[in-house]
Amino acid sequence: MSVIDCINVTKRYGRETALENLTFSIEKNKITGIIGRNGAGKTTTLKILAGYIQESSGDVKVFSEHPFNSLMVSANTIFVDDQMNLPSSLNLAEILNNAEMFYENWDCELAERLFSYFSFHPKQTHDQLSKGKKSTFNMIIGLASRCALTIFDEPTTGMDAAVRSDFYRALLKDYLAHPRTILLSSHHLNEIEELLEDILLLKDGQVYLHMSLMELKELAVGLTGKKDEIQKWISNKEVYYESRVGINDNYVVVENTFTKEELAKLTATGITISQVASNDLCVYLTNTSKGGIDDVFK
Amino acid sequence: MIHHDGSKPIYVQISDWIETEILRGNFEPDQKVYSQYQLAEMFNINPATAAKGLNVLANEMILYKKRGLGLFVASDARERIVNRRKNETLKQLVVNVVMEAKYLQVSETVLVEMIHNVYNEIKEDGS
Amino acid sequence: MSLNNVTLATATKKLYKYKLKANIGLLNSLVFLQLIAVLFSLNGVGQMGTGGNGFSINVYYYSSTLVIAFTMLWAFIHSIFLTTKTFRYDDFTFVSNRIASNLSNMVFLATASLIAALFAMFTSPLLKVIAYFLLDHEVLLETGIFYSPTELLLGFAATTLYIFLFSALGYFVGTLIQLSKLFGILLPVIFFGTLFVEARAGQSNLLITMGTFIFTESSFLLFIIKVVCLSSLLFGSSLFLSNKLEVKQ
Repeated sequence: MSVIDCINVTKRYGRETALENLTFSIEKNKITGIIGRNGAGKTTTLKILAGYIQESSGDVKVFSEHPFNSLMVSANTIFVDDQMNLPSSLNLAEILNNAEMFYENWDCELAERLFSYFSFHPKQTHDQLSKGKKSTFNMIIGLASRCALTIFDEPTTGMDAAVRSDFYRALLKDYLAHPRTILLSSHHLNEIEELLEDILLLKDGQVYLHMSLMELKELAVGLTGKKDEIQKWISNKEVYYESRVGINDNYVVVENTFTKEELAKLTATGITISQVASNDLCVYLTNTSKGGIDDVFK
Repeated sequence: MIHHDGSKPIYVQISDWIETEILRGNFEPDQKVYSQYQLAEMFNINPATAAKGLNVLANEMILYKKRGLGLFVASDARERIVNRRKNETLKQLVVNVVMEAKYLQVSETVLVEMIHNVYNEIKEDGS
Repeated sequence: MSLNNVTLATATKKLYKYKLKANIGLLNSLVFLQLIAVLFSLNGVGQMGTGGNGFSINVYYYSSTLVIAFTMLWAFIHSIFLTTKTFRYDDFTFVSNRIASNLSNMVFLATASLIAALFAMFTSPLLKVIAYFLLDHEVLLETGIFYSPTELLLGFAATTLYIFLFSALGYFVGTLIQLSKLFGILLPVIFFGTLFVEARAGQSNLLITMGTFIFTESSFLLFIIKVVCLSSLLFGSSLFLSNKLEVKQ
């Protein structure tokens, strides 16, 4: 059963097109990573799903309802980002109490435990917090609200490494105990990939690929070896990335359509085969040129 | 335990880990193994990934399913694991060793001699 | 995870409670403003003097009209604040849609008007006490120390309605400005422009007519109907206009 269905969703801001014919659906109780470069349309997509902004054209359904102005969608959705709007006239404890009033499934105990684990003070106000602390506090609201659709847009902005890994662990544990649909956008795919089941890669306001992380891992393969030697093998394959290593060697990332026998032959001719890290692969896939930043300095 | 550097897919690492636990005797035949959720929690991974790791073992008949109860260790799990590791993992390791030897122009006799020596060293350490 | 359903009434009620707690600080500015108004009022809102052989009479009028005027201004300005992004977006952090957000604002402003009117009523005796002790007058005449309960209630209701009307006006103006920043320039220009043009021409049209229509109604019932209709019209248009406003940070 799908929780989110987007068909040909386009969003324009004046003359600029932020999203173009976005079509995808997200199944129930999956953790999906929304990945893309800056300006790929991640936040715009997530805000449309949360009912914050309205699509210019196309069809958006969340829990089979159009999210813009839907109370049902709002009651079952939480959108967490680093600039969550919380009043400075209330202290942190009061904000949590108010959140509890709004969300049916609110877990008061979890909120309190996280609150004291991350050493917040009840009398602090939100605007007194540092960037990382703000994100941490927002994350507590995001987890404790236990919404059927939980959206985290760059939730770890400003958090230090220890808090980030605490957050991922907390997210996973709470998800295992209370499965729900989670969308997680991040610049650090390498940090979140183990948490994810699916990945939605956006490029220039369009869906570039939408598949399970395990499929993504097998999508491409890295070859290192003599330039001419490699060239023989990849002439009819799609090359995602190419760079020079050392004097005569090349490193290329190509689509992984090799058979087992071919791979064995490759190794025999002295070409090293390596797995491509998902994060690197996503960077290669969304690069405009095959050589990356090196192309600028040619 | 789990390496996140992308050298080996996580689900393969999960099935490898369960295999090792079976070889070490931490799981007896007909004993229930961890569920995908327990594995997910233990290794901090998505339960779907853990499920895939378990499925690999189920397909190789190292684990068997009991409806509604979960996955259990097959009676011949040990043999299957040893056989497969011998035929695949060990063989691949040998291939790598031979390749490296060729690269360094180490002759077959010298290589066999080296392996022989390592065997003796380990034996002495163990006694 | 099963889905929760919320009715518009529940969502509005919760938002209202949330607003009440979050915006309690508005009362500070209200009290401050009313005290300033009391201070200004001590100068007298009107003065009349006459004199003859060896005597002169100076009559000063003191009234808390200025306090009410200041309170209306407060209501107007804070209603504009309420339509700004900072306040509007706060609602959407939790469970809300645009209708619930607007409705809860309306109920909140009604409550604020009630409290503001109550406070304004208290400033009248305050003014008298201050005038009695601090001002150096020979005779202090009052228009009645005790009002009948009906009079008090009517005065309170009328004050509340005036304040509410002004908050509705502020809310509408604020909503227009949210729709387009152009209104932020256009509205003051139109307002002051008409004032000047009319003053020069020496004729009383639009603004004056509107003022007379509301402020000089002698039937209380008609006055209530007028205010309620006007504020509903203003809130209704605000609701309609802001129903497409997006939450962008």
